[in-house]
Order: sequence, then structure tokens, then C-alpha cells
Amino acid sequence: MAAWLVRRLAASIAIVWAVVTLTFLIVHLAHGSPCGQPDGRPIAPEVCADLTRRFGLDRPLGVQYVKYLGALLRGDLGESLSLHRPVADALADTLPNTFMLALTALILDFTLGLALGVYQAARERRFSDIALGNAALFVNSMPTFWLGLVLLLVFGQRLGWFPVGGLRDLVLCPRVDSLPCAADFAWHLALPALTLGLVGAANTARYQRAALLDVVRQDFVRTARAKGLPERRVLLVHALRNALLPLITLFGLSFPFLLTGAVLVETVFAWPGMGLLAVNAILQRDYPIVTAAALVASVMVVLGNLLADALYGVADPRIRARAT
Amino acid sequence: MPTTRPPSLLTAAAALAGLLLVIGCARKGGCTGDYCGTLVIATGGEPDVLLPAVSDRAITRDVTDQLFLKLADLGPSGNTIGDEDFQPLLAERWEWDTPTTLVFHLDPRARWQDGRAVTAADVAFTYDIYTDSLVRSPFRPSLRHIAAVTTRDSLTVVFRFRQRFPEMFYAAVYHMRILPSHLLREVPRSQWRSAAFGRAPVGDGPYRFVAWRAGESLELAADSTFFLGRPHLRRLIWRFTADQQVAVTQLVAHDADAVEVLVTPDNRERARADTQLAIYPYKGAAYGYVGFNLAAPGDTTKPHPLFSDRELRRALVMSVDRGALVHTVFGDMAKVPPGPMSQLYWIWDPETRELAHDSARAARSLTRLGWVDSDGDGIRDRDGHPLAFRLLVPTTSAVRRQYARFLQEQFRTMGIDVQLDEVDFSVFNERARAGRFDALINVWNTDPTPSSGIPESWTRAGFGRSNYGRYENPAFERVLDRAVAAVSSRDEAKRTWRAALELLNQDAPAIFLFATENYAALHKRIVDVRIRPDSWLALVRTWRIPADRLTDRDRVER
Amino acid sequence: MNVGNWLAVGGAAVLALVAVVEIRRRVGTGAPGRRFFRHPTAAPAVFVLGFFVTVALAAPLVTPYQPYLQIDITRLANHPPSSQFPLGTDPFGRDVWSRLVFGARISLGIGALAMLVAVTTGVVVGGVAGYFRRWVDATLMRLVDVGLAMPRMFMLLMVVALWEHVPLAVLVLLIGLTGWFGTSRLVRAEVLSVREREFVAAARSLGAEPARVILRHVLPNAAAPIIVSAALGIGNVMLLEAGLSFLGMGVPSPAPSWGNMIADGWPKMAVAPWCSTVPGLAISLVVMALNAVADALRDALDPRKETA
Repeated sequence: MAAWLVRRLAASIAIVWAVVTLTFLIVHLAHGSPCGQPDGRPIAPEVCADLTRRFGLDRPLGVQYVKYLGALLRGDLGESLSLHRPVADALADTLPNTFMLALTALILDFTLGLALGVYQAARERRFSDIALGNAALFVNSMPTFWLGLVLLLVFGQRLGWFPVGGLRDLVLCPRVDSLPCAADFAWHLALPALTLGLVGAANTARYQRAALLDVVRQDFVRTARAKGLPERRVLLVHALRNALLPLITLFGLSFPFLLTGAVLVETVFAWPGMGLLAVNAILQRDYPIVTAAALVASVMVVLGNLLADALYGVADPRIRARAT
Repeated sequence: MPTTRPPSLLTAAAALAGLLLVIGCARKGGCTGDYCGTLVIATGGEPDVLLPAVSDRAITRDVTDQLFLKLADLGPSGNTIGDEDFQPLLAERWEWDTPTTLVFHLDPRARWQDGRAVTAADVAFTYDIYTDSLVRSPFRPSLRHIAAVTTRDSLTVVFRFRQRFPEMFYAAVYHMRILPSHLLREVPRSQWRSAAFGRAPVGDGPYRFVAWRAGESLELAADSTFFLGRPHLRRLIWRFTADQQVAVTQLVAHDADAVEVLVTPDNRERARADTQLAIYPYKGAAYGYVGFNLAAPGDTTKPHPLFSDRELRRALVMSVDRGALVHTVFGDMAKVPPGPMSQLYWIWDPETRELAHDSARAARSLTRLGWVDSDGDGIRDRDGHPLAFRLLVPTTSAVRRQYARFLQEQFRTMGIDVQLDEVDFSVFNERARAGRFDALINVWNTDPTPSSGIPESWTRAGFGRSNYGRYENPAFERVLDRAVAAVSSRDEAKRTWRAALELLNQDAPAIFLFATENYAALHKRIVDVRIRPDSWLALVRTWRIPADRLTDRDRVER
Repeated sequence: MNVGNWLAVGGAAVLALVAVVEIRRRVGTGAPGRRFFRHPTAAPAVFVLGFFVTVALAAPLVTPYQPYLQIDITRLANHPPSSQFPLGTDPFGRDVWSRLVFGARISLGIGALAMLVAVTTGVVVGGVAGYFRRWVDATLMRLVDVGLAMPRMFMLLMVVALWEHVPLAVLVLLIGLTGWFGTSRLVRAEVLSVREREFVAAARSLGAEPARVILRHVLPNAAAPIIVSAALGIGNVMLLEAGLSFLGMGVPSPAPSWGNMIADGWPKMAVAPWCSTVPGLAISLVVMALNAVADALRDALDPRKETA
């Protein structure tokens, strides 16, 4: 198991390295030197000189690549052209917000999805199953940002139950350092997380229902039934445990969805996370931030897959046995 | 037994109630009395650099006017002629040694926020900066009548003018915000726009700089030792939003306390419907227009392939039904200006001759110029080139984006293909300044008098600065100079102005779209609100929140 | 909307209905067909898709106004739904129904085109990798791993940020080129399994060229997952295009797409919610139909069920 994990880790690192190289090539393809921007915006001469020195912009491509890798390993992601501060700082400020949003959305996703999937499986083929199934399909087919707009309009503007966007009360809670501020943060987090979570939950519910129904048909379930155990116990204890495996796969697959969804949802709700940072950076042609964001997103996707694989190995003894 | 059942309804309700209770008992700060209060201003748009000499953005001016002082400021009447109606600021008094020599005596109490005294040397340094060609200040054309600024001693400054004209005093005091020479002397003149000071300025004004989180907020705190009186509002926080529409939404949701303009009739309705908001109408100082680039995009030495043709520009102006557009977008909250002017300008004369909306005449003009639809695709062309151009619009202004779409359609019916370039506000400004556009929709927040604003934007002196389209007309500039220098009666001056603007209108360097009437909206708890039309926050240090109306946000001490 | 338009819409609905009935009659007798139509959402989904496609194709017949025509900007902007404007007008006085129909052309068109690019690339890469194996396979699959690691939206955003002006055609191509990774894996798996079957071995031993073998023998058996992922792919592209247009980077004005219709209506959401709601509903419906069809197809074409 350990050997297998190490191999997967090595493969992940290789993928990240390939993404880094690809990003470098793309940026270089667009314009060789940051001192000449796509929209001709002039850069202060000393910034240009510093960049040239740091990345060897007047040297051949190979040298520039090595310097670029070196800078990345040092944690130097460049300087933002619009924010006038290091990209790493900007990312450090915004990444936790996206992380909180994604985590909450994931929790909502899995709890709602699991509950719904189990409920539907228990009432297979009956009206509630079909109706809920179609509703879930509909929610899963919605553009995430559109759902966000609708929720914002109804619950934010019209009903006033939730704030109309933003991270927190700027004045009272510049930092989350007390219980009321934590509550304020949660109140601001509610709608964006719900938007992402609902769409994900619809998907999870479908998978979970299918997985549970699959498992229910298997022998050990029939045995449990034959033993006279109540249906609820059969479903929840025996069947569910085995049907949870797809959830792990879904967990790994959810990272790209969450990151992409974060971009749109953060824009709708003005949630200052990495997604909104990337969108603003694009509008301002601030490519150091955009490339850094793309890199970070890729790393997170790879991490997610790695984590899912590891969890799968832990959860499914068959895989573990095969690996050792 | 592990269960994945969703929590029962009762538990959920209890949790929600608990959460609401906790939110309700928000932390209460300790500030009480007359000098508390936090004003949160929601605005779509952000300052570029907090150095007044190099920025022509209205939002920058709003912030820097709290940080830096002028020698004297406009009085409540808004009169810019002579010096009687001006209020002392940095200068406590002044006198005229000769008709063209003005002597200021600085207030000895004035201090920079790092403790140093404000001296005459600072004033001389500031003048040097504003007129330095390397700094490229957009205000330089407005200072052209000043011959020299010298110091007599540490608190006495002497302004010498080239000639006499009615608004001499205004020209001397209105544009320059005095800057600290001891902190800025070392900054290389060509790098002022990227100076670190511009992101953490030190001033001498009623407020101190606290923090600027790019893309999110900017905070200023009151200087309790301000020599002209401690500001009542303890903190000013600007909240940056995607555009003005979102800013109004935040105001209505009470996440913000103030908004500079409500812009559209439905926003005004939303504010009226909210009992906690008060609406303050004031004369609008803004006008919007479509500016044509008369030089080739990216190469100012060559003429623009389309817009260097005066007849074509005139035809384009005549194609647009400006009245219908103003009515649709603004309702009754704006008018079509008869030239490059805001409603604040005293020269506003609806009799000014301009090109009226006449699509038939415009169509004939285009055909006469050789632009005909020879390939039946609905777009006119000539010598194989289609009559097409790109319109540059900032994404931060919903109004300009709306106008862009309306104009696109109106031009399409005339056989002109317009594509939209919708870019971020800073990209818009950079491209405008660099001349990399065909046409753009721009909005100017004007000065209280046309004698400074119009030369800045519409004469040769504004090249490379605010005259984005590089329009120049020597005949126009001659009449303009006469109008500015007109010492005789107001009516005579107005007639001269009208003649000058009629010349400009005939050249059609732009399509003048709207001049707004402004409606600011503030939370009712803020009292003593005085809004000066040319700069709505100019008097914010006199606004206050009575002690019995302080909210939690107001009481926070920091 | 005049009588002719209503008749045309009705005609489109009838046509879609007839199509569903016909398909059911012809295909529904065989085992795959029965499995397909056993899904309660399959037939309605086919109807929805048929309706939208027909309406999009017959756009000039079904719409009273041209999509970019600002009918009367002073009096008819933000007009609620009425008999003349069944779905109301947008903030620019344009008929929402007309824009929806022409927008269907563009959104569905982009979806189909990008999907074609994605599926073609995926099939080619997956086919080559599965057939030739060894280092060809290894290199291509590492490429696929890298492609899957970068979220599609971020890739596209990066390109838009780096190049000043990206034409729509290039953007559609890029959307397609960022979406083939999953398909290639599927195809590769199928190719690997089919490759070992006797008839393929026979063909190869007879000296047939690889391309011919892949095309004539391998691919037809691998068709099932390709078709399913194609159906899902169109839906994903439509959602992606909607997101890009919402951010201002998709289909430029005045051409309507369901995504930029949502963006146009957003500032006036409080006053005229139909402008943004209607295109959003349309997207949801079509994507839902595509997902339902994909589900049913997956079941219908599942080779495991053949033998059961």
C-alpha cells in the first residue's frame, strides 16, 4: 500500500511539473517579455529591470525556464501588475476564502446528496423517487451562476434573509476573531455555499441512489433480509457501507467542479476568493495572477485525486490486498 | 447507530435561532459622543494611485481631497470669479501686490501627518511637479497662465501671472493639492505613477490614510489634531464594487451608508422606498460622450483612417437620437448637453447650435463620401473596406455599457458596423491615455467652471493627457482664450463661450450624450450633510452623526 | 407574435412529437430501444431536444423580430410578457423570445461544434493510444493526465487574459480542445478491450493498415461510450459558454447567446427578472434533456445488458 501511494505521489508531482511547463510555454507564446504587455501598457522601468534580472528575460528560453522553476520552488510567483503586491500574498489572502466556500459546499453536497440518494433508493420507482430524481436532474443541469443569481435576488434582495454578497461586515468584523464575527461570516457564506452545494448534491444523489440500488441487489443484502433484519437496518448499515465507495470517487472528481464553480459563484456574490481574484485579474490583463491561479487550481485537482485514491485504498480492502 | 438521516426539523430550527441570536448580539464598540461614526461609501470604481498630481479619476480626487489640502477652496456659492467667495484652507489669508502678483500667507498651524510643518517650499515644489513635463499631470493646461511660483519666506508664497483674467485666483488654488516636498523630492519625475507613496500617502488633511485593500476597500481615519477643526466622522471607508448598480444594491441592503449618484430612475425609486435613506439632489458635474480618435490607434503621428474625416464624424453625430437615449437610460435624471459641458457649467445655453439628429441627412452624407453597401451585407463599404470601428467601454459603468449597445444598434441601421471592446476600468484608462482605440465612451466629472476643464480635454495642451482623441482646432482655441479672458459682463462672456463651442460642435470631435442631474443617497442618521456639486465629499469633515443615533458600526474604535 | 409565428411554433412542437413517435416505432422494438424508452424521462427529453433544434433551425419563421432589433427603446424596454412579446423585452427593447430562438442557434451551435472538436480529438487520441500501446500510449495518456489536471475554465481564462482579442471561432475551438481528455480515456479503454478480439487480430494478420482497422472494426464497437459522452459534452459546453458569456468573455454583443442574455438582464434583475430567468431556464431544460438522453443511451447501449 505504501509503495503504491508513493508511486501515485511521484506521478502527481510529475503531472504538476508538466502543468508548470505548459503554463510557462503558453505565457511565453503570448509574449516573450513581461515588459511588453498585450495591451501595450507601459511597465515602470525598474519593475522591468527587476523582472529581467530575476527571470533572465534577455537569455535563451532554456535559461528562463530554469529560473522560472527556481522562482516557483522558492515560492516566488511574481508581482501582480494591478494590485502592486506579490502574487503569493494576494493568493494567500484569497485562497482561504475559496477553501472555506468549497469545504462548506462539499459538506452540504455530501450530506444533502447522501440523504437524498438514500431516501430515493428506499422509495425506488415510487412517485417521490421519480419526482425527486427529475428535480435533482434539473438542478444539476442549471448553470451554477444562474442559480446563484436567482438565490441572491430572492433571498438576498427581495426577502432580505441573507446579505447581498461580500465576505463580512467590513466595519465590525475585519477579522473573524469572535463568535458574532464567526456567525457573520457564516451568514455571508450561506448563499454562495448553498449554490455550489445544491448543484453538487443533485449529482451526488444520482450516483448514490444508483450505487445503493446496485448493492441492494447483491447477495449479502439478501442474506441480511433473510435473517429477518428490519429494512432500515439492512439499508443503512449493510448496504450503505458498501455503497459509500462512489462517494470517494465523487470527492476526487468534485475538485474541478468546485474550483470552476467558485469562479462564477464568487463573481456573483462578490466573494473575495481565488476565483474572483482570477476574474478581476483577467479583466485587467494581470496575467501573473491568472497563471498562478491556474497553477494552484491544477495542484488542487491533482491533490484531490491523490486524496481520493488514498481514501479508496483505505476504504476498499480489495484494492489494498492487490497493492501489497 | 450511525445514521445519515438529515437532522430533524426541530434541531435545525433551534440551531438557526441560536445563530440569529448570536449575530444580533454583535460586538459593541466603545466610542460615544460627537466624534464617532463610520461612513461606508459604496462606489463602482477604484482609485489608481493616491497622488493628486497624476490622476484624473473622480474617485481618486474624492479620497485625496481628504488627505491633501489646497491653498483655498470654493465657497458655498460656487463662484469662481475673483477671490471674495473663496474659503481659506492651507492659506489663512492672501493679498494682491500687483494686479498680476498674488501673495499667500500659509497657516502656521498646518502640519504634515508625520509632524513636519507645511511650508512655502512645499507649495513651490507642488507647482513644479504639476507643470513638469515628465510627470505629465493632466492639470498642467489649467495652470498655463501662472508664470512662476516663488517663496518669500517659510510661510509666504508668491504667484506671478502672465496676464489678468477673471478666474486668476481660481486657477491658482483650485487644481493643486499641496504635496509634501520632504517625502516626494526623491521620487524620479517619470515614475510618479508607480511611486510607493501613492499607495500609502502621508498628507496634511482632515483624514489620515489607514489601509487600502486593492479591489476591496480603502480606509481613512480622522485626524483629531486637524487645525481647521476635528472631523466629526471618525472613519471613512470606501467599498469598491463591480459597478454603480451593485453599489446602490449595497446601499439599499444597508451594507453601505452613502452613494454618490443613484444614476437611474429605478434606483431613485428603490432609495425612496427605503425609509432609512435620505436623498440629496445636487447639480450634476458629469457629462458623457462618445469620443472619436482623430489619430491612428497606437500611432499618434498618423491620422485615423476613418475619424480624421470631418464629414464622416458629422454624419455619425447626426445618426444618433440622443434625446431618446437619454430618456431611456436616465428618465428625467439627465439632459442632452449642447456641447462638452455638465449642468454645473454656467455657460449652459440650450440655444447653442449643434448638429441635430437627422438620419436621412446623415445617410446622404455617408453616401456622398463614398460609403455604400456594395455587397449587400447591410454594412457600408468603400474600396473594399467596411465602415466599421470598435467602441471602447469600461465594464464598471452599466450606463456606458447600455449606451454602447444602443449606439451599436443605431449605427447598424445606418450601415455602420460597431464592435464593442468592454474592458476593465484601468485597462480603459490606459488605452484611452495611450490613444489605442477607435472611439470610446467617456465621462468627465467637470470642474465648477469651464475655463479649466475644456482646455484640458479639447485643446492641443491636453495631448497625452485628458485630450484622448487628440482634437485640435486653432480657431476654436483662439475664441476659447478670448472667452476665458473675457473681463467684461457675464452675458458677453457667455456669448463668446457659445461661439467657441459652436465651432467645436461643427467639427464633431465627439457625440455629446448626457449631462446628469445627481442624486446622492445617504443613511438618514448622517446629518449636517452639505454636498458641493463639483466634489460631493469636499465638506465631509463637517458631516456628523448625532450621539443618540450611533449604530454598532459607528461605535467601533480603531 | 403574429399568427404565423404561433403556427410555426405549434408546427415545430408537432414535428418534434412526430419525431419521437417515429423513433419509438422504429427503434423501440429492439432490446436497446426498449431499454432506452424504459426511462420515463427519455421520450420527453427527445421531444425537448427535437423541439429546440427545430425551432432554432426554423428561427426566421418562428420569430416576429430580428434578434438585435431594438424595437422602441423609450417605450418598450423591460416590458413584461404580453401577447405581442410572449417572453417580454430586455433592457434594450429587444424581444426576448426572438433572442431566445436565435440564441438557441448560437448556443446549440457552439455546443455541437465544440463537442465535435472534442469528440474527434478524443477518439483519435484514444484510438491511437489504445491501438499502438507502449510508448505512444504512455505519452498520450500522460498528456491526458495533465489535461485533466487543469480545470477547463481556468485554462480558457488564462488564454483570454494573455491574448488581447480572442475571436469567437478560436474560443469555440479552444473549448473543444480542452474537453477531449475524458473521452480519450474511454475510447482507449474500449479500444484496448476490443483489440484483442479475434476479428481484429484476423484483420491485422491480413496486413490491414492500422487506420482502417481502427475505423472499420474497433470504433464501431466502441461507439457506445463515445455517443454518451458526446451527449454529455454538448451540455457541458453550453454551461461553459454561458459562464464565459456571463463573465463578458463569450459571444459578443449584439449576437444573442443564452449566456450573454443572462448577463444583459442581470443589472435589471430586480425590475425585469424575465430577461435573465428565461434563458437560464432554457439552458437548464436543454442540458437536462441532454443528460436524460445520455442516461438512457448509456443504459440502452450497455453491452453487458446485451447478454443478460
